[in-house]
Amino acid sequence: MKTFLHVFLLCLILCGSAKAEETNALDDSFYEDAPVEETVPDPFEHFNRLMFQFNDVTYTWVMEPVASSYSRTVPDDIRQVTDNFFYNLQEPVRFVNTLLQLRFADAGTVLARFAINTIGGVGGLGDVAGQEFGFKRVEAGLGETLETWGLTDGFYLVVPVLGATTLRELAGTTVDGLSTTPYYFFADTWQEGTLIYMGKRLNNLSLRLGDYKGLKELTIDPYKAFRDSYFQYRKQARKHSAPSADEKL
Amino acid sequence: MKTVLYSMLLLLLLSFAGQAAAAAPPNPTEQVKPFIERVVAQLKDPSFKKDTVDNRIDRIVKLVSEHFDFQEMSKRVVGKPWQTLPAAQQQQFSGLFAKLLGYVYLDKVDAYVEMKIEFGKEQLKGERAEVKTMFTDAAKSIPVSYVMMLKGDKWMAYDVFVESISLVRNYMEQFKGIPQEQLIPTLEKKLNELKANKEKNKA
Repeated sequence: MKTFLHVFLLCLILCGSAKAEETNALDDSFYEDAPVEETVPDPFEHFNRLMFQFNDVTYTWVMEPVASSYSRTVPDDIRQVTDNFFYNLQEPVRFVNTLLQLRFADAGTVLARFAINTIGGVGGLGDVAGQEFGFKRVEAGLGETLETWGLTDGFYLVVPVLGATTLRELAGTTVDGLSTTPYYFFADTWQEGTLIYMGKRLNNLSLRLGDYKGLKELTIDPYKAFRDSYFQYRKQARKHSAPSADEKL
Repeated sequence: MKTVLYSMLLLLLLSFAGQAAAAAPPNPTEQVKPFIERVVAQLKDPSFKKDTVDNRIDRIVKLVSEHFDFQEMSKRVVGKPWQTLPAAQQQQFSGLFAKLLGYVYLDKVDAYVEMKIEFGKEQLKGERAEVKTMFTDAAKSIPVSYVMMLKGDKWMAYDVFVESISLVRNYMEQFKGIPQEQLIPTLEKKLNELKANKEKNKA
């Protein structure tokens, strides 16, 4: 286990340093620049494509049908409340990451959200901070922290169930996930913790049903389409200095 | 003499002001707003829903072509090989790509038609503009942006961003590596698959 951790850390260190560049859709250079996925190598493309197919089958035959019947049984409001609850549990992890990224204003927002929603939103069930006080959700994870500190992605990966990621982001997601687990005070064993995690994923999926199938149908190469979407979406989501899409409206 | 000079200066100023007013580009949001409303109205039309797949695609492509420059989109999607593609094939590719995007609209009929559309701030840069919209319902909000260029007095979209993902850039990535002679057959194959799926679902 120790050796594995050492190798993993070494891989991360060898990733070197990188900084995401700004692009603007109104400039032609946006369409000429090398896309991020070209700068992030995909040396395990064959394996990743296999994992992509595995996830596709799992989604189509297991997750989607389960999430569909769940969404038919559980009303919208309850599912939204459940999503808020799990989101609120992760706020302390986001708070630490905003501090590590020196995003102090965002750290204040996350802290305010956590305090308001935990107290006023009955343990995070309601998003009072967002709806009543205008504190919008702020995203921050260890993957982004490591990026801020100069670590590159390493390489592209498709992981079972989790989907598209990179070596650095997987490390970040794993640590973020493990940091949240102690908050699952209602789980006594790791099996219960896993079940809760799966429940959280299922609930989240039930709120976005149909998106995946519709997107996949219209692609020429679904693997490349989802890889590109992952990098485009991540790049935009991390432009914290620029106002988010909601704020621009 | 002084009066004549003042009159001449006034005339000159007025003519410059007139030129400036004539050169001002039309407002992109004002052009896009009624256009999107027409597209939504078309999708809601009961006769449209009952039509055959081919007819629905033709109708939507014809309507969308008013403010979508499919040639410009295709040029960006194909990238460098576009320069060496014969004009007839460029046109054929643009036509097929327009149909593929027509399916994007057909696919979203049920999901988007009932959503409320809010128009946001526009970004202008010379003869380029980005109009931001937000499709919302009780459960979610989807940001959709139209990236356009001015052609004559019309703003023509050459890219659409859905949830921050550029459609053109995404297809650009998918078409990369496809040999030039396979570009059109690849699109034709995809369209046949989509048509078969739609007909199967309707049956």
